[in-house]
Amino acid sequence: MTDLERALRALDVDWPSTPDVRLELAPRRRGRLVVAVAFVAAVAAAFAVPQSRSAILDFFHLGGVSVEQVETLPPAQERPLAAGLGAVVEDAEATRVLGAAFLPRRHSTLYERDGFVSTVLRGPVLLSEFGSAYLIKKFATGTVEWVEVAPGVRGLWIAGAPHVVFFPDTSPRLAGNVLVWEQGGVTFRLEGTGLARQSALNLARELL
Amino acid sequence: MRRAQRGDERAFTELMRMHQDIAFRVAYLVAGTEAEEAVQDGFLKAWRALWRFRTGAPFRPWLLRIVANEARNRRRAAGRRAALVLRAAGEGVSGDAASSPETAVLAAEDRARLLDALEQLPDDARLVLAYRYLLDLSEAETAAALGVRRGTVKSRTSRALERLREAYD
Repeated sequence: MTDLERALRALDVDWPSTPDVRLELAPRRRGRLVVAVAFVAAVAAAFAVPQSRSAILDFFHLGGVSVEQVETLPPAQERPLAAGLGAVVEDAEATRVLGAAFLPRRHSTLYERDGFVSTVLRGPVLLSEFGSAYLIKKFATGTVEWVEVAPGVRGLWIAGAPHVVFFPDTSPRLAGNVLVWEQGGVTFRLEGTGLARQSALNLARELL
Repeated sequence: MRRAQRGDERAFTELMRMHQDIAFRVAYLVAGTEAEEAVQDGFLKAWRALWRFRTGAPFRPWLLRIVANEARNRRRAAGRRAALVLRAAGEGVSGDAASSPETAVLAAEDRARLLDALEQLPDDARLVLAYRYLLDLSEAETAAALGVRRGTVKSRTSRALERLREAYD
């Protein structure tokens, strides 16, 4: 080590005192609504003041989904919608995993993987429901907007360009248009490449 | 760590308390007065992303990467360089009693001058030296916090030391 390095190391910097962390985590269930509402308020405020958008709008949170705006999309695979959905499960197992019955009650084959229960609807549109699981989406271009799925039920509509979705324990994949909403402690997610906003909302309303 | 990863908030908060000093200083060097918010946001992101953290991998670089990234975003949003006023401990204290063997390497005014020279360096140089020597981060941690490869940390450090030497001498 040179003298200069030694001198640097010996600089006893008077750091500003560390503020105590006040973590307002988004608990998996209890209190989750409070956080979601706080985010909705923050986003609403950001929309009201357009110049502050870049500061706040890089992050959305709804139910078990976090949506982050990033400069460059991370590498991701293109995989068919129905690939890697997991093992086929019976309704009872799906209910146990979700903590609530899978909706709609009448559905085709259910698959489960890491807390995500999925089925493929016509279109094809992928419907996934999850209770305590989390996923992260990243988008660079395209739009993310809050929509009203039903009175009092907020949703996020992500469309316009592929985004990358990170499910637990699988490599990220590119996703098409997506509607996410939360009800009764379960997060719902509809995905389809050509899924139009109105069709997604109509589908969602049928499930409510 | 395991408990935190399974969603135990108290375990996670505990984990963050262990790392909050270093996280705050890493953020402070980038974002100045915005550091507190950067740490809060960074910790929140770490909580959300914790399930992606590979068990057994070193945790500190992972966390510092997230926090430093948050700090850079904050600073970019603020659109200016953080106004830092790092002070050497004991500076300005009359009589300067801090003459332990470690601090005796340089006299008080020289320490202030060195710190000043460090702060005047361009960001690339300033941060790599501050992380390596002031915060004593490892190469891997520095690489994570800067978002560069370890090889880059090495080369940047030696170039930055050169520049500092020129500025200080």
